[in-house]
Amino acid sequence: MASVDLSMNAEEEAKHSLTYWQLVRRRFRRNRYGMAGFIGCCFIFFIAIFSGFLAPYSAGTRDSAALFSPPQSIHIIDVDGGITWPYVLGFDEQMDPVTFAFTFVPSEEKKIPLDFFARGETWSFLGMEFDRHFVLGENGQPVHFLGTDGLGRDVLSRAIHGSRITLIMGLVVMAAACIIGTTVGITSGYFGGLTDTIIQRIIEFVKSFPDLPLYLALLAILPRRADPMTIFIMFASILVLLQWADLARELRGKVIAIRSVEFVRAAVAVGATDKRIIFRHIAPSMSSHVIVWATYTLPNVILLESFLSFLGVGIQAPMISWGVMLNQVRDFQALAAAPWLLAPVGFIILSVLSFNALGDGLRDAMDPYSND
Amino acid sequence: MTDQLLKIDNVAVSFRTSSGTTEAVKDVSYSVAKGETLAVVGESGSGKSVTARAIMGMLAPNAIVGEDTAIEFDGKDLTKFSEIEMQELRGNRISMIFQEPLTSLNPVHKVGDQVAEIISSHRRLSKSDLKAEVIRLLTEVQLPNPEARYAQYPHEMSGGQRQRVMIAMALANDPDLLIADEPTTALDVTVQAEILSLLKVLQAKHHMAVILITHDLTVVQSVSDRVVVMRRGEVVERGATADVFENPQHDYTKHLINSEPKGLPDPLDDNAPIVMDGKDLRIVFTLRSGGFFSGKKVELAAVDGVSASIRRGETLGIVGESGSGKTTFGMSLIRLGETQEGEISFHDKRIERLSRNEMRPLRPRIQVVFQDPFSSLNPRMIVRQILEEGLVVNNLGANAAERRDMIHTAMDDVQMPHSALERFPHEFSGGQRQRLAIARAIVLKPEFILLDEPTSALDLSIQAQIIDLLRDLRRKHGLSYLFISHDLKVVKALCHNTIVMQHGKVVEAGPTDKVLSNPETAYTQRLVKAAFEVVA
Repeated sequence: MASVDLSMNAEEEAKHSLTYWQLVRRRFRRNRYGMAGFIGCCFIFFIAIFSGFLAPYSAGTRDSAALFSPPQSIHIIDVDGGITWPYVLGFDEQMDPVTFAFTFVPSEEKKIPLDFFARGETWSFLGMEFDRHFVLGENGQPVHFLGTDGLGRDVLSRAIHGSRITLIMGLVVMAAACIIGTTVGITSGYFGGLTDTIIQRIIEFVKSFPDLPLYLALLAILPRRADPMTIFIMFASILVLLQWADLARELRGKVIAIRSVEFVRAAVAVGATDKRIIFRHIAPSMSSHVIVWATYTLPNVILLESFLSFLGVGIQAPMISWGVMLNQVRDFQALAAAPWLLAPVGFIILSVLSFNALGDGLRDAMDPYSND
Repeated sequence: MTDQLLKIDNVAVSFRTSSGTTEAVKDVSYSVAKGETLAVVGESGSGKSVTARAIMGMLAPNAIVGEDTAIEFDGKDLTKFSEIEMQELRGNRISMIFQEPLTSLNPVHKVGDQVAEIISSHRRLSKSDLKAEVIRLLTEVQLPNPEARYAQYPHEMSGGQRQRVMIAMALANDPDLLIADEPTTALDVTVQAEILSLLKVLQAKHHMAVILITHDLTVVQSVSDRVVVMRRGEVVERGATADVFENPQHDYTKHLINSEPKGLPDPLDDNAPIVMDGKDLRIVFTLRSGGFFSGKKVELAAVDGVSASIRRGETLGIVGESGSGKTTFGMSLIRLGETQEGEISFHDKRIERLSRNEMRPLRPRIQVVFQDPFSSLNPRMIVRQILEEGLVVNNLGANAAERRDMIHTAMDDVQMPHSALERFPHEFSGGQRQRLAIARAIVLKPEFILLDEPTSALDLSIQAQIIDLLRDLRRKHGLSYLFISHDLKVVKALCHNTIVMQHGKVVEAGPTDKVLSNPETAYTQRLVKAAFEVVA
């Protein structure tokens, strides 16, 4: 009788055995929206890592000849209609005789051809110094693809440099909240009893904080002239404080469910210690949930950071993030005069959509019960 | 055979999945005449339920029905019916009973209203007539006190009573054809017998055709006129029930019929030392009763004064219906559950008050095999890691090579190939997984194994293999088993002594053949009758 069972086994032998993560990868690759999100995320990390190379100028470089200069578009079609080397047009400054406002008019005479991989300001990467930039104006003529702000600083360069702080903030908060949330959640769910009760009351207390006043209070606590790094760390800690609780509560529920599944009881029956059961049996089963949670939390933190920095409560100059850049358009006059200062919004939307799409794709791919 | 009610020809169903298309049913044809019972037999995955769902037009959205499929009901081709026409037919002329009476009733509606809904969606009746009709139906399915039952919710009823309500719903509009998909599988044996005889009575009364889908050959023998045997989506044998059982043609049918558990346990040495001894165990669950402010606590004794002792090489069976406390007793005996009162000794060492840490040195000698092999193996670990875990935590085996040899020996013992070690549990069938779970237990060289319904989640032919395996291992390693089961046939084949439990108490105990051949209490008599006798 055993032969029937074993012959079936031999049949299955031919099939390649796939691990859980191989299955996840295979399912994820088939999800177009998720893949698009993944590519978007890679693109954003690429920008942040190689910001020195991609940005034409440093974040603080001022072009005093071009205050509130509008974006310059790249032309590849000549005036005659032929294809030519890409160039941008310089501006003629004119003053409106009625309002006395400066206006910038593109001038066909001031053609600035683009120079790729050109030498420019030095930037450092991993302690090494480089001076090549992806694209600059020929012979050091200034070009501003997304215009400049009121101090003549290049918006594109600042947005590219700003991606670093924004992403670091997102990753730090996400990682710290993940570690705290996972530890607390698993402890609470696994040990249960009094530990669980105490932890759950703490979580409820944390969840009951009104968050906006808490952020504003931060500003009140810190001296006005505090070091920007101190503010960054304080700001990140407050975000962590408010983010971990959700994860801890979700994981607690899952741990309670899995604690009574028979494979965990079987581990108790062979004499496994609590430590082993937690690390070998429970934690791996939580990994997919934590990863999905993390990809959803990152865009949340990016949005919170930009919102609070926009209000002036978050990251402080001279550090730059997308939110800090938006802080410049707080008054409507500035916005009306130079709408291109809203460019960081585009970066924020792109990154939030990408991370959410990635999270969606991962959630679908990691669901063991989905059958397409 | 002239008056065929339902005739299906070349039914083929396949499913689109992530790894391509899977054929679930290939070219299945059968027919049912008015007033006849056709049994469709096969193991899980044989396509018997999928075929029934194809008849009802209730397949999952990713199903593809083959082009040559013809389903003719009362002279009309159902494959050409629109969804609205099918709705008109379902619950009216064809109705269906499902396996799980717990989930197929809506928990938030009264059962009477649920039955009434079926009637009113096909017939117009006044409110009082409707209620009278529902009560008539509930009486017909022999539900005691039908007027009171009308206003009850499903959770207030037992599994058997819920299945009776399901039958009432199926009969509500006097159907011509009743499809019963494993109607008794989820029920206790004694309840099974009652439900089957009820179905038989009702069929004769209403002159219905019944398609009974089941894997239980006893059920087939007792109720069906003709039988169709399916395997891997194909019909392998068909014929009158008596003929098929007396003279099976196909190898698979022979294999199925032969796989009823057989044989008797080896004789037991009466002087063998006692391995595990539980005396007067009492396990109590405390429930809060009354309203929010009343601090009243109610004690529910799940196990009340149960004793059991198992000698070396002995298998003690514990039988009883669900809720009788047999699993609770077994789990607390091996200290995976709490005990409030009583003594547990393992080789003269008292263990009932040991902490988890103090129990740890004893764990390799006391092992357990759980009921459901799908949840007892960690899906994230490969088989090698699962088997190795017990060796690693107990420091058994001097080095990796020695541990590997121990694992290989255990795999040989359960007749699984060594290549299985590098694979994940989801790649194996239920029977293979149960072998792996047994391997995890015996790799530690235990003296005592608690077997908690190890065969009840498995197909019949696999069950027999596992029983044979357990018997071989007992002989080879001198193991003692505590075997928890509700299946008396399995108990008869494996256990030396048997305890019968009901409501947390022992109602009968003694040598297995004595308990089964000469049951003293009415409860045991009912159990035995349900398991070994064909329903009248």
